[in-house]
Amino acid sequence: MTDTDIQLMFCGSAGDGTIAVGDIFKRAMAKAGYKVIAFDIYPPEIRGFGKCISRVRVTSRQAYSLKQQSDVLVSLNDSYAIPHVTEIRDFGSVIYDQAPIAPMAEGEHISGHLLPGQLPYGLRIREISDQTTGGSKSKNIVALGYLAGLYGIKGDPFHQIIQEKFQHKDPSISETNLRAFDTSYDEGASTFRLDFIELGTPERQDVGNKVQMMTGNAAVVRGCLDAGLNNFFGYPITPATSIMESLATELPRRGGRIVQTEDEISAIAATIGAGYAGTRAATATSGPGLALMIEMLGLGVMAEVPSVIFCSQRGGPSTGMPTKTEQSDLHLAVYGGAGDAQRIVLAPTNVEGAYKCAGKAFEMAEKYQTPVIVLLDLYLSNRYETVVLPRQNPFEADSSKYRSHLERGVAYNRFALTEDNISPRTIPGEEGGIHTITGLEHNEMGRPNDQIHSKMSEKRHNKLLQAFDHPGITIHKRFGGEGKVDVGILGWGSTFGEIFEAMLMAQAEGINCSAMKVVMLSPLPSQPIKEFFSDCGEILIPELNYEGQFANLVASAVSQPFTRLNRVPGVPMQVEDILNQIRHLADRVKSPTAA
Amino acid sequence: MASTEHYVIIGNGVAGNEAACHLRQRDPESRITIITAGRLLFYSRYELPRVFHESCDWRDFLVNPIEYYVKNRINVRRNSFVTHVDAHRKTLNLAHKEEISYSQLLVASGGASYLPAELSDFAPLLNHFNLYSAACKVRDILPSKGKIVMLGGDVLGLDLARNLLKEGYKIILVATEQTFWPHRVDSDERALFLGALRDMGVEVIEEVKIEQIQEGAPGMSARHVIFDDGREIFADVVMPFLGLLPAADFMMGSGVDFERGLLVSTNLRTTDQNIWAAGDVCQIWSSQENQYRFYYGWKNVKKMGEIAARNMTGDDILWETATDHKMYLDENKQIISPYWEHD
Amino acid sequence: MGNLRQPVYLEEKLEQVRESGRLNIRSKSLPTWCPGCGYFSIVDGVTMAINHLQIHQKDVTVVSGIGCASRFPFFLDTYGFHTLHGRTLPVATGIKVANDALTVLAIGGDGDAFAIGGAHIPHAARRNVDITYLVFDNGIYGLTKGQTSPTSVLGFTTSTSPYENQDRPLNPLLMMLSYDTSWIGQSYAGDPRHLSDMITQAIAHRGFSYLHILSPCVTFDKTSKTYSNLKAQVQLLPDDHDSSDKIAAIKHAMDVDNPPIGLFYKENRPTLSDNLDLIVDKARGRNARA
Ligand SMILES: Cc1cc2nc3c(=O)[nH]c(=O)nc-3n(C[C@H](O)[C@H](O)[C@H](O)COP(=O)(O)OP(=O)(O)OC[C@H]3O[C@@H](n4cnc5c(N)ncnc54)[C@H](O)[C@@H]3O)c2cc1C
Ligand SMILES: Cc1ncc(C[n+]2csc(CCOP(=O)(O)OP(=O)(O)O)c2C)c(N)n1
Ligand code: SF4
Ligand SMILES: [Mg+2]
Repeated sequence: MTDTDIQLMFCGSAGDGTIAVGDIFKRAMAKAGYKVIAFDIYPPEIRGFGKCISRVRVTSRQAYSLKQQSDVLVSLNDSYAIPHVTEIRDFGSVIYDQAPIAPMAEGEHISGHLLPGQLPYGLRIREISDQTTGGSKSKNIVALGYLAGLYGIKGDPFHQIIQEKFQHKDPSISETNLRAFDTSYDEGASTFRLDFIELGTPERQDVGNKVQMMTGNAAVVRGCLDAGLNNFFGYPITPATSIMESLATELPRRGGRIVQTEDEISAIAATIGAGYAGTRAATATSGPGLALMIEMLGLGVMAEVPSVIFCSQRGGPSTGMPTKTEQSDLHLAVYGGAGDAQRIVLAPTNVEGAYKCAGKAFEMAEKYQTPVIVLLDLYLSNRYETVVLPRQNPFEADSSKYRSHLERGVAYNRFALTEDNISPRTIPGEEGGIHTITGLEHNEMGRPNDQIHSKMSEKRHNKLLQAFDHPGITIHKRFGGEGKVDVGILGWGSTFGEIFEAMLMAQAEGINCSAMKVVMLSPLPSQPIKEFFSDCGEILIPELNYEGQFANLVASAVSQPFTRLNRVPGVPMQVEDILNQIRHLADRVKSPTAA
Repeated sequence: MASTEHYVIIGNGVAGNEAACHLRQRDPESRITIITAGRLLFYSRYELPRVFHESCDWRDFLVNPIEYYVKNRINVRRNSFVTHVDAHRKTLNLAHKEEISYSQLLVASGGASYLPAELSDFAPLLNHFNLYSAACKVRDILPSKGKIVMLGGDVLGLDLARNLLKEGYKIILVATEQTFWPHRVDSDERALFLGALRDMGVEVIEEVKIEQIQEGAPGMSARHVIFDDGREIFADVVMPFLGLLPAADFMMGSGVDFERGLLVSTNLRTTDQNIWAAGDVCQIWSSQENQYRFYYGWKNVKKMGEIAARNMTGDDILWETATDHKMYLDENKQIISPYWEHD
Repeated sequence: MGNLRQPVYLEEKLEQVRESGRLNIRSKSLPTWCPGCGYFSIVDGVTMAINHLQIHQKDVTVVSGIGCASRFPFFLDTYGFHTLHGRTLPVATGIKVANDALTVLAIGGDGDAFAIGGAHIPHAARRNVDITYLVFDNGIYGLTKGQTSPTSVLGFTTSTSPYENQDRPLNPLLMMLSYDTSWIGQSYAGDPRHLSDMITQAIAHRGFSYLHILSPCVTFDKTSKTYSNLKAQVQLLPDDHDSSDKIAAIKHAMDVDNPPIGLFYKENRPTLSDNLDLIVDKARGRNARA
């Protein structure tokens, strides 16, 4: 069986239905049983018909990064697509409208911009749309049909998705679009192919209800819902808004309550209020919002109230680059706040991980009575992946350590010092459990007290260390083989996708390397990191921030030297970039004197 | 030479590519654009019979590696069909409605397979062998040891025939006046060569006209050929090899003179001073024969490409009338055409 | 409060409370307020109100910000959350959203409410969160030892306004009226009976109730909102004031020289929780309430 690995790029303007057709394509491919990862780029301006790009990578085994070079470019608007022709590999295909309506000057048609190795596939896109639907609106569907026909992809999943897509509209719209699809499908199927792109058959065994395609943010939403989220409070901010938007629909359906608050301070305040009152509550934001939340987060730490904060990072500082990706809120998430405010920070590396971390965050918040920050980034929040969700809900419905019956009647100390440093809790409304919590340092009863600060600091610090063994979540993992290696790559967050890809490529070149991802960034599992480092000749830490925030974290915990790879291009790191560094470090291991 | 020149070459065959290569050498700063209706870079069509035994990857047929085009800044605009040339405005139009300006234009658009009017009804049932895609198609539909009916049998067809015979296919040649084209063959030679073909294992049918070509019945061979004398043949493919027709329709109304091909003087310039022609598309003045005439074949055409390029960049070299290639039988009584040699 | 005298819990006061039978609502912690601080009568008023309304202590959650006023929860034997400076309302909102069955009191000083916490008030009010917001207005920052507050009067001299306050004070009642607060009242720490009655009404109101309590800071304000000044200025709202007449309420609220006490305005409308339930019904495709 051929391993499938093709990446498509749809490029056009907002009015061309570019994102929509990318969406149909990826959904159909997922339906057909392929694994998909996809990332769309919208125009930064809200108004107008700016450039839209939808990239979809289709594989037989799930990939976690997009390729630098795509195999196929579908141009729905040549002026937008032309600058991206260089992103198509040699012997890749470019599909475009062969019969545009208006005459044009030299250089305005994409066919003149193809690189020598690329293959042109011209189609009468607009004409077919006109003939089959009576208008040019379905150009995207025509291109899609051609594409499917050309590569011999079964039409049924496309039909289903197109029907779903138009189900709320006049039935004739669905019909005409299907006609447009079929007409160009036949045209594609009878076109002589010159590229060498082959789709293998998908792995059927995964095909079932639980295989779904979703974005990182959608996975967060699913994780929240499966974990039994009761209350959500949020304030819109890119790229976290879609979490709140889907919850606004979904949460009330399950009897939950969601409030759009007046700012991020109130969002986390209400989340902590609800957490105190005993429900599962969360908020979602991005760096600027997290900055506003930090004081409250400290209260959550001090008063030991469970709360879950999703933070999808974008370019910073300040308002920064709202539509660009970055991993630069790590310091804020891990260290931000007054005093020694230890908290749990989780950073999933892919969409499935986003689901897991989201759900587990609630368990951890309750179990360790702490705020839990789940750090995503714009790239992970917005990209689509096929994910296999467990058939059984993997999350515990209630992980709280409550006061036992035996303790009833005895004077209740909310912050009792215990062996595991976790104090049994009660929630308002409970008989005999009355207590007051505060952001002031306090004694076991919860009364303001400065004398006990050392002991209480230790309690708050130590209780979190148990999270290293929290069941059902991988907080760190090594890939690419055990034992001694020349080069080790350590990574976190979405960049681990590119790291993993680079590692595979380096291994294919014969470089002895392996990679480790760290999902829990606070508290930092430094022991496993140390062990990994001791296996590596050279170590590389790639991340999307200027200083190397994760590297700083690691440096404070591990003494072995390593190399940083810091980039802030606003887009995912280039696999090639990482690969070059790996090669470089591998050479250094081979000939240490050259260094 | 002026570095702002934009040399546009219509045609991605030997003539066009040879010209591009010389233009680049002689005018390093210029823009060079090759326009072609085809979707591939310049490949060797003479090697196409190889699809039957070795390679079917078109990259193996490429004459130049793709880096060559990058390095020499030759933009090969593929899948672009020229519909019109305006010699006055020095522009040309592509089927997708783009207009291109040139400072010098070389027309090297070659020839298309000739199909007489009486066969045009059957066009959908005929297979060609002039393009990579066409060759692959024939390979795909031909069952092993399958049967081919060749109409005509020009040198291109005969080249294919001798290759296919080696692979064990069955060839039926329907001889016409285009058989052995473009060789000029008298009736004695014709009998001799036909005999040689029969000896090679080709079934030769003479003096008949095609009445009908039909799709074969299901479960039978794919094609059914009926002749005017009532004879019928079942075969897997029917391929016309009836010579070439210059591909210069788009020059109509351009203001440049043409007869069957574009008329050029011996320096390969057309009647427009910025338009040149080379290869199968052009008819060159022969003072010897006192007429414009065609010269086919790799070597001739390549030379024309070079001459045109040099003259476009300031030289004044003249096409010397070549002696016609003659067909002959070798010591093993095998037909040999000099056209089958190329570098 | 290093240079303050150690807090003293007045024996007579304790005796009074004991007699009233409300002692069980008081916690064992002695209030850390200065003797004579107006806040003592507020804690008293709250215990009386809870007692009167027969709400079980376990069902009461008192949320406060930071400030002298915000120390409040420690002195009650109910659930309590002493939060951050200015963040009383959003925390209280979260608690109410999480559990409707709780009686939630939100408490803060004038600085906590109208300076740092000002942004939250209109939103709690317009959403009609069913909580009771008691703002203790002493016109000064007590806990931080006497700085100017947003309700400090013009010309008031404090440690941060040594050349007299030039910033015009806010009119909280006018603000609350304009925010569509569904229950607005004013009371005075020097009139315990009136105070406990108003607190009782405020808690009983279904929706967001705002009670503005004028309360002297005996330690840092010797000139402005003292007991004697307030006593002379404060007047009861006229008997004929119609609490559904917002325009009349606005007129009374503008009388800053003689602040009227009593119920300014009251209306009944769906609470945040009612609306969240409505959303759940809509989301589930059920017949929404009429
Ligand atoms: C299958 C085949 C095998 C052959 N084998 C041999 C051999 O073995 N030895 C030998 O000596 N000769 C051989 N020939 C000889 C051939 O006849 C030629 O002499 C030679 O190929 C002509 O080259 P050219 O550059 O003039 O044109 P061509 O190679 O025919 O190229 C013409 C080009 O013009 C382009 N074109 C035409 N019209 C348009 C238009 N309107 N717009 C845009 N582009 C256009 C076409 O796409 C093509 O790229 C063979 C020919 C064929 C077809
Ligand atoms: C973010 C923050 N800023 C400043 C403070 C310091 N602070 C504590 S209470 C207070 C003012 C209290 O005044 P008010 O709210 O009127 O309450 P009062 O003490 O008068 O009852 C200030 C400024 C703080 N705790 N937190
Ligand atoms: S408000 Fe004034 S009187 Fe009351 S406790 Fe604070 S400082 Fe003392
Ligand atoms: Mg105050």
